[in-house]
Formats: sequence, structure tokens, C-alpha cells
Amino acid sequence: MSALGKIADSVDAYNKFVAAEVARARTEEKFAAELRAKWAKLHASIEMTSSPTGTPLPRLALPSTDEPGAIAEYLLGQGFPGQFPYATAAYREMYLDREVERADPSALASSAAAAKSPRAEVSPRHPAKVNEEPMRLFAGLGLAEDTNARFKYLQRHQKSLRLSTAFDGPTLYGLDSDHEGVLGKVGEGGVAIDTVEDMTRLFAGFDLTRTDASVSMTMNAPAPVILAMFIAAAKHRFGPGCVPNLRGTIQADMLKEVQAQNEVIFPVDASLRFLCDMIEWCVPNMPKWYPVSISGYHIAEAGATPVQQAAFTLSNGFTYAGLLKARGADVNAFGPRLSFFLDCGLDVEYLVLGRVCRRLWAIGMRDVFGADAKAQILKLHTQTSGRSLIAAEFQNNLTRTGLELMMAYMNYTNSCHSNSADEPFTTPTEKYALLASHGQSIILEESGVFKHTMNLFGGAPGLLALERQVEKGILDVFREMDTLGGVIAAMEQRYQRSKIQEAGHNYEKQIYAGQRPIIGLNKYVSHEPLPSVPLARTSPTKQRLQVSRLKAFKQKHTKKSPDALQKLENVARSGGNVFGELVNTVEVCSLGQITACLTNVVGKFRPMV
Amino acid sequence: MAAAHPPRPAAPLRILTAVPVCDGHDSAVTTINIELARHGLEVIYLGYHQSAAAIVRAAIQEDVNVVGLSSYNGGHIVFFKEVADQLKKSGNGDIPVFGGGGGTITKADERVMKRQGTDRIYFAGTPLDAMMAEIKKDYARAAKPNAKFKGDRALARAITIAESGLGTRHLSLVTSPQKSRRCFVVGVAGPGGAGKSTLIDELTSRFLRSNPTGRIALLANDPSHPDSGGAILGDRVSAIYAQDDRVFFRSLATRGNLTGLSAAAPAAIDILKQSGEFDLIFVESVGVGQESDPFRIFGKGRKLVDATLFVLAPYYGGLIQLQKIALLNGADLVALNKCDHPMAHTAKAEIQARLDQNHREQKLHPTTAAKHFDPGVDALFTAIAKLGRLDVSRGGEKACSMEVSS
Ligand code: B12
Ligand SMILES: Nc1nc2c(ncn2[C@@H]2O[C@H](COP(=O)(O)OP(=O)(O)OP(=O)(O)O)[C@@H](O)[C@H]2O)c(=O)[nH]1
Ligand SMILES: [Mg+2]
Repeated sequence: MSALGKIADSVDAYNKFVAAEVARARTEEKFAAELRAKWAKLHASIEMTSSPTGTPLPRLALPSTDEPGAIAEYLLGQGFPGQFPYATAAYREMYLDREVERADPSALASSAAAAKSPRAEVSPRHPAKVNEEPMRLFAGLGLAEDTNARFKYLQRHQKSLRLSTAFDGPTLYGLDSDHEGVLGKVGEGGVAIDTVEDMTRLFAGFDLTRTDASVSMTMNAPAPVILAMFIAAAKHRFGPGCVPNLRGTIQADMLKEVQAQNEVIFPVDASLRFLCDMIEWCVPNMPKWYPVSISGYHIAEAGATPVQQAAFTLSNGFTYAGLLKARGADVNAFGPRLSFFLDCGLDVEYLVLGRVCRRLWAIGMRDVFGADAKAQILKLHTQTSGRSLIAAEFQNNLTRTGLELMMAYMNYTNSCHSNSADEPFTTPTEKYALLASHGQSIILEESGVFKHTMNLFGGAPGLLALERQVEKGILDVFREMDTLGGVIAAMEQRYQRSKIQEAGHNYEKQIYAGQRPIIGLNKYVSHEPLPSVPLARTSPTKQRLQVSRLKAFKQKHTKKSPDALQKLENVARSGGNVFGELVNTVEVCSLGQITACLTNVVGKFRPMV
Repeated sequence: MAAAHPPRPAAPLRILTAVPVCDGHDSAVTTINIELARHGLEVIYLGYHQSAAAIVRAAIQEDVNVVGLSSYNGGHIVFFKEVADQLKKSGNGDIPVFGGGGGTITKADERVMKRQGTDRIYFAGTPLDAMMAEIKKDYARAAKPNAKFKGDRALARAITIAESGLGTRHLSLVTSPQKSRRCFVVGVAGPGGAGKSTLIDELTSRFLRSNPTGRIALLANDPSHPDSGGAILGDRVSAIYAQDDRVFFRSLATRGNLTGLSAAAPAAIDILKQSGEFDLIFVESVGVGQESDPFRIFGKGRKLVDATLFVLAPYYGGLIQLQKIALLNGADLVALNKCDHPMAHTAKAEIQARLDQNHREQKLHPTTAAKHFDPGVDALFTAIAKLGRLDVSRGGEKACSMEVSS
């Protein structure tokens, strides 16, 4: 049995355990009393606040029950926010307003227990991360200075320093801007980065060592090279001591690349080795950095159903945990540095996807991998669905994204990107990027929905029913992959790819058969011509400028680069930690030169249909 | 282009689909592929992140009716033009180029692209059925001999004619008396998924490295869908070493022929041999069962190939199943692929024992085609070269360093 089978079994076992505890709570008086006492204490720990119109509100809503079975069911089945199995939330307060209105706790009439416990016993406010600003807006266009300008524009509308980078096609595929036949793609769909000098320009003017700074990079196959450039650029600006303070995330999830996003350069085993090298280097050296973001977004956007998205993403995560453990890494050291990234579309399953994933991850990590509390928490980034946004009557996309944001927050995502309404046409233009950003602020800051009370929705009968069904669906996929020999074996048999393609085809067929209403496309169509929207495109002049910068860099380092590449090759051949060497190589070599060097050592990826 | 009443094509329409370089958005194209095949077309799918040169090479060798590109990562104006220009420049401007890219290609872009040689763009929201009907109607064509076609396109057209049931009648178009290379033809058979295609690709890389000027041809047979008559021919996607002008790759759909090869395969082999272009030809059959004999090695008639390579993977069942595989008696070369599999050790011994019964001194070649630079594949290539008396003396082992991207 592969780890997946064991994980599926461990979830079943946990569910049985919960059921047994619920039964025990209902029959064993001593246990029931313990639970009631605990419940009373928890209730007492809840502070009061008030809405702007004066309604007193608890900062956390718990199921209104005093029945021990129901208490056990909630505490063990869902978990108090920030407690195993984390279905409710990773942390206690998430998006709540920091200012606590001092309201009278006895106003909370629904809980007799709360009124009974004396205020003195109240445990101190949970210190866990409160008010970590979730907004991350993915941006990248043109050359480094263009993206830098976009970052500055977006930054004016955010509370903290949040830079999320989209790279262009050549960079994503590890090619230099002067590679034959790619000129037209330079700076399209993301920023062109060839060298450490570009990286320096990209973040110019931002203090990356600020404690509220967080930089994310959507970069995969060449992730080790790009992160090495990021480190080198930061060292140049802030001194070598800055590295442990750098905070952020690099995507680097190669399994989902093979399954869905199709940015793979090296054979799978080499790709995974380079990734693990990077993770192992980052864990001690960059304790605030997330060196991998295990992503379902691309799997879903490529066509997967929500259940498939969750199943493939979680199973990929468990595969990384297994690989790192097999290399001798400590699960409690690397576990907290794994992060996740899910899509949120309009299908009903998205109401609970984050909740279910947090729960399954926690159980699997604890019961199969022996992880401690910190390593059990699934930290979640969410992006609203790009594919749900369509060209026809595209202003409707604002509503779609707004609704998806709402669902993402209902799952208490730790961070979030909202797509722009012009998503079907172009790299977001300033106008729509700003609307997308304001969408998040309107929901979190302007509206009261998430400000005053945690867990407004959790435990609703509909959500619980959905959670059970989604969880079951995920475990079924785990078991199917288990019979194929686990994630990597299934991947070699094209299992994930064929499931995703089948679902993607199905989705399109449903649209054109009218079974899936899309307003403005197959329902309530107004037959307006496609709008002409302003486009963010990179001019040929800029593309040539990028090439000349690259040529100048190569020229400048023409003496030193062969040696640097030779050293890198030696490390790669001898099985050393490639990332440790890349940090030096990037000082004098371009991305394309490094890709070519590593390809020579490990060969090329053989793509799958 | 759009004739009012196109003649009903005798053979399925062949279309090449691909996603441009530095672009991995394949969700649209995979859906389009499924629909095209469902509507009876033969889809030769090249994959994502494909250069204009690779697309043009494939279009020529596959002699397709039309090239369909699905582009999302921008730069489409430049890229579509590049493909159309290269087709024209190489004398293959008769192959139209069209495509889509959801909302990323605007109406204004389409106007420019049409002026620059793109036939049409499908915009976001086009219903699939409407698209299919239009493609079938507008890109049908009769495969006639064309004296203007040169090089690989002439070869490709001769094969297309053979595929339409006319055999080697137009062989004269490709026969070149000046070039009379000796050509070694290897038939590759084995159960579905054993790794035939991967192994052929690895052997191709060995050939290209060991012979810096020679050419190699690959004929990949894949089944047609029994109901629609269409097919998705995806072998080119994973043939990474076939992206080289010294490789001629042709995908053949079996079109209902149940022998394991297209009915046109014998003619196609003759055409390739007669052209005098190639030193080595690999013919891959569809995955075969216990009794099949795609290359006619057991009958009294002319064998289709000079040698047969039988490829199997470690999970063939057991000794009894092994006994029943007739081709193991006749194959000149036998490879046990996927030797990275835990069952490989036992399999090796069992198969060798099975081969020993034949008293033909058949040596078993253990290979791991999925591993790059596998020494087992090197040894298999050496054996093939010896058997075919190929000239492999010219290239050193490291003569050819890999390119990063096609
Ligand atoms: C799905 C998607 C993804 C998925 C792709 C999964 C996959 N394997 O395909 C993921 C999440 C991985 C992804 C990643 C990226 N994406 Co994306 N993605 C999209 C998205 C949301 C939908 C595209 C899609 O597949 N639609 C479904 C298809 C079936 O429908 P359709 O597009 O309407 O197409 C119809 C017709 O045009 C026609 N058609 C299309 N092609 C063809 C071809 C032929 C031959 C025919 C006959 C017909 C035809 O058929 C369809 C049915 O009617 C678009 C935005 C949007 N909403 O359109 C962005 C978009 C295309 N992506 C974009 C970008 C920038 C990227 C990234 C580069 C981001 C980055 N910097 O990291 C990466 C690159 C990935 C890569 N490897 O190249 C940009 C491109 C911007 C530009 N060109 O200026 C877009 C427009 C989003 C945006 N506004 O930023 N993406
Ligand atoms: N583990 C492993 N997998 C391999 C090896 N060789 C090929 N594969 C994988 O096996 C699968 C099938 O390989 P193909 O080369 O397409 O096999 P085939 O025999 O041509 O398949 P059909 O043409 O469909 O009959 C692919 O996923 C390959 O990556 C190997 O040596 N080891
Ligand atoms: Mg094959």
C-alpha cells in the first residue's frame, strides 16, 4: 500500500474515533462533565465586540449546544479555530478587526455556560496571527521596471507590503529572452527576468526586509534559479545578513506541473531533486520563506472538478512530505514550511473545499507522518477562478469574482488573489486590477461579514453535508491512486492528466449543451459584439531592450560564467545540493545558461499528452 | 478555401494541432482534439510549448490538411505569422493555418493575422459543434499527387496517397536514383504501454549521435476510434528527439485494419525505402496480443521488415502468459523495458529462460527507456546497429550535446 492508502485509512479511523467519542460523551457521565467544563471555558474565552450599529457580538461563534455529544462532535470533528483538525480555521481570529469593542459578555444570551464562568478565568486573547492581510495581487508585465511600477501602483491600495510576481513564458520555461523564436513572448503574460540585474530592477525601492513584507513568485521548473536570483539581489541591496528575514513563497510545485500546468524542463526525478534541494536549503536558512506552494489552482483551471483538485493537490503534498522524509529531513522542520494554493470557482463544493483540505492534511500529517501541531496546519492561498470569467459581457466577471472571494473567505483562506474582470483578454490593466483589489477590501474591510465574528457559517447543516460528500470523494480518489501505486506511479500512467482532461472536456460540453448556465454566454444572452478592451502588451522595442540588456550581462561576465557553470555542473553530477551552488552561479550567469547546463547533466523532460 | 459543396473526402481529414512555444495552456486544445476525433478527424497532436519550426516540420511530414494552433500566452500575431511564413517559404503554403486563443486574440488582432496568412480565428464562446462542422466542411481536400512538392512533403504526400488506398502507385514521385542508401527496417511490437515509443525515441537519439549526417524514419501506427473513425495520434508529443530535420516521423491511424498496422504501412515502408533518404526505419505497431504478427514474420510471404524488436514490460502476467506470446519465438531482438520496476528482476530470468527454449541465441536486452542515458538502451542500439550493419563509426559518444529547447 502506498502512503495514500494509509492516509485514507487514517481518515476513516479518525472519523470512527470521533463517532466513538461522541457516543462516549452521551453515555459516560465523567467524560460528559469534562466536555461541559471545557466548553464553558472556551465560551468564557470569547470576547465580545459590537457591530457599527451597536449590536453586541461574540468574536467567535460556537455551535449553540450544551449537549456533550454535540460538543465532542464539534471539537473533535471540526475543531476549535486554530485547533486540530483545523476544519474551522488555521488560526483563531483570521480576518477579525483588531480593535475589540468592550461589550458586556452577559449579552451573549445564547450560551448559559458563558454567563456562568467568571471573567477572571478567561484565557488571554489568542496570540496567533491576527489580521495578517490576506490580499496578494498577482502581477507581472513587460520588463522589470514595468512590473515594479505596477507593484507600486497596487501597493498604494494595500495595508502591508505584498508583492506577487507573474513571469512571462520564456522565463517560466527557463529560456533567455534571446532564445530563438521566443521574442514575441517576451514580457507577455508576466515579467521577463533573465538575470540577477533584472531581479534587482523588479523590486527596486521596496524594503523586502520589513516584517510586514511578503513576496510571492509564481515560478516552477526554474524556481531554484529564480529564487537564487532573488536572494542574490536582496543580498546586494540589504547585505548578506538579510536572508533569514526574507519572507514569501515560491510556487515550485513540480508534480502539478506534470499533471496540469505543463512547465516542466527536466525529467521528473531531477525536477523533484532540484525542488527538494531548494526546500532543504531554505528550511534552515530562510525560516520565514515558503519554498513550495502545493497548488490545485492549475489543476482546477485545466479542467478538474473541485474534488479532483483537492485529491490531487493533497496527494501531491503528501508525496513531497514522503520524499523529504525519505531524504532524511525532519517532518517537524519542513512541515510548517509547506504551503498550499487552491482555486475557488462557482461550483457548490467550493463552499467547503478549504475546510475539508485542512482537515485531511492535518489528520494525514499527524497520524501517518507523525507531525507535530505546527506541521499539521495547511496554510492556504486561494485564487478566484480565471476560467469562470468569460469574454461575453465581461463586466459580469466582477460579480463572479466577488462571489468567489466570499466563498474563499468562508473557507478562511490565509491569503487571496482576486482576478480582474478583463482576465479573459489580457494581463490585467490598471483599472481592473484596482477593482479586483478593492473587491477584497470591500468584503473584508467595508462589509461587516468577516470583521466581527469568527465562524459565522461553520457547522451549518448544508456545509456539513457537503463536507462529508467532498471528503468521501477525495478519499475515493486517494484509494484509486493507491491501487495504481501512488501519486508518481499514477502520474506515469497519465492518471491525473486523463482525469483532468476528461473533466475539462465535460465542462465545455456542459456549457454548449446548455446544462451549465453561463450568463451572457448560453443564457440571457444579449448578443453584443465582443468589447474592445485596452490591452497590456509589450512593444517590440521593449522586447529588444530586454535582449540587449541580457547580451550586455553575458558580455560582462563572459570570463567568469564558464567557471561558474562548471562548478554547478560538478555539484549536479556529484549529487550535491544544487541550490546551495545556484546562489553563486546566478551572480554571473543568465537563466538560459543555467538551464542549458543542468539539461546537459540530467536530460530533458519527455512530455505527456 | 470554402467550396460550396466540397467533394466527400475518401479518407479522414488530417489536422495538426499544437500550442505555441513558451505556452502550456493545453486545456482548450485537448478538448478540441477530443471533439475533432469524435467527429471523425485524424488529429496529429504535437503538444504544448512548440516552436514554429517544429510545427512546420510536423505539418509537412504528416501532410495534414490544416494546422490548428491554440495560443494563450500572447505574441500570437508574431507566432501565427511565423508558422504561415515558414510553410510558405518551404513550398508548403497550401497548408492553411488557423486557431484560437479564447479572449486573448481580439477581433482587431484577427484582422492583422488574416492579412499575414492566418485563415481564421475561433473566439471565446464559439460552440464546439459549430466549430467542428465548419472545420470539416472547409478543410476537406482530396489527396492528389503534386509534382511541385519537394523533399519530405513529397514523401509525405506519397504516403497519404497510399493511405487513401492507392498503394504505391505514385512511388515515382519520391524515388531518387542518385540516393541509394542501404536502409535497415526494424519493426517494433509489444504489449500496449510497454514503452515502445519511448524506447524508439531513445534509440533515435543514439542514432543521431552516432551518425552525424544520416537520416532516420519513424512510422507510428495507432488505432482509429471504431465508431467515429477519427483518432488522436499523440506519439509526437513525447518523441523529443524526433524534433530534428534528420528525423522523418509519420503517424498512421489503423483505420479499422486489425493487423496492428495501418493497411498502408507496407506501402509506406516501400516509399521510405525507395526514397533513398534513410539509413534506419523504425515501424511501431499498435500494442499487440499473444497471437498477432503485424510484420508478417511467420508467413511464407515477404516479411515487412528486416528485423523485429519485441518490447515488453515486467508485468506480463506469469510464465504461462509468456509461453503464449508467439512473437517471442520470431523476434530478432527482445527488450525488457521498465527495468526500474520492482518485478524486473524476476521477469529478466523468466524471459531469458523462455528465449532459451527457442535455440536462436536471442539475447534479452534489459532497458529503462524512461531514464535518460540508460546503458541498457546503449547496448540495444549497438545490437541493432550490428544487425543492420549501420555505419555508427562517425560520431563520438558525446558528439551531440543536447539542445535546451526545440
Ligand atoms: C485555464 C487558464 C490557465 C491554466 C491552464 C491550464 C491548462 N493546462 O490549460 C493555468 C492556471 C495553468 C494557467 C496558467 C497561466 N496563465 Co492562464 N489562463 C487560463 C484561462 C483562465 C482560461 C483559458 C482556457 O483554457 N479556457 C477554456 C477554453 C476551452 O475556452 P476559450 O479560451 O474560450 O477557447 C475557445 C475558443 O477560443 C476555441 N479555441 C481555442 N483554441 C483553439 C484552437 C483550435 C485549433 C480551435 C479550432 C479552437 C480553439 O475553443 C474554445 C471553445 O470555444 C485564461 C483567462 C480566460 N478566462 O480566458 C488565462 C490566461 C490565458 N492565462 C494567462 C497567463 C498570463 C498565464 C500564465 C503565464 C500566468 C503566469 N505568469 O504564471 C500561466 C502560464 C501557464 C503556461 N504553462 O503557459 C493570461 C494570458 C495573458 C495574455 N495573453 O496577455 C490569461 C488571458 C489570463 C490573464 N488575463 O492574465 N492559465
Ligand atoms: N518506469 C518506466 N516507465 C517507462 C519506461 N519506458 C516508458 N515508460 C512509461 O510507460 C508509458 C508508456 O510508454 P510508451 O512509450 O508510450 O509505450 P508504448 O508501448 O509505445 O505504448 P502504446 O503505443 O500505447 O502501446 C509512458 O508513461 C512512459 O513514460 C521505463 O523504462 N520505466
Ligand atoms: Mg506507442
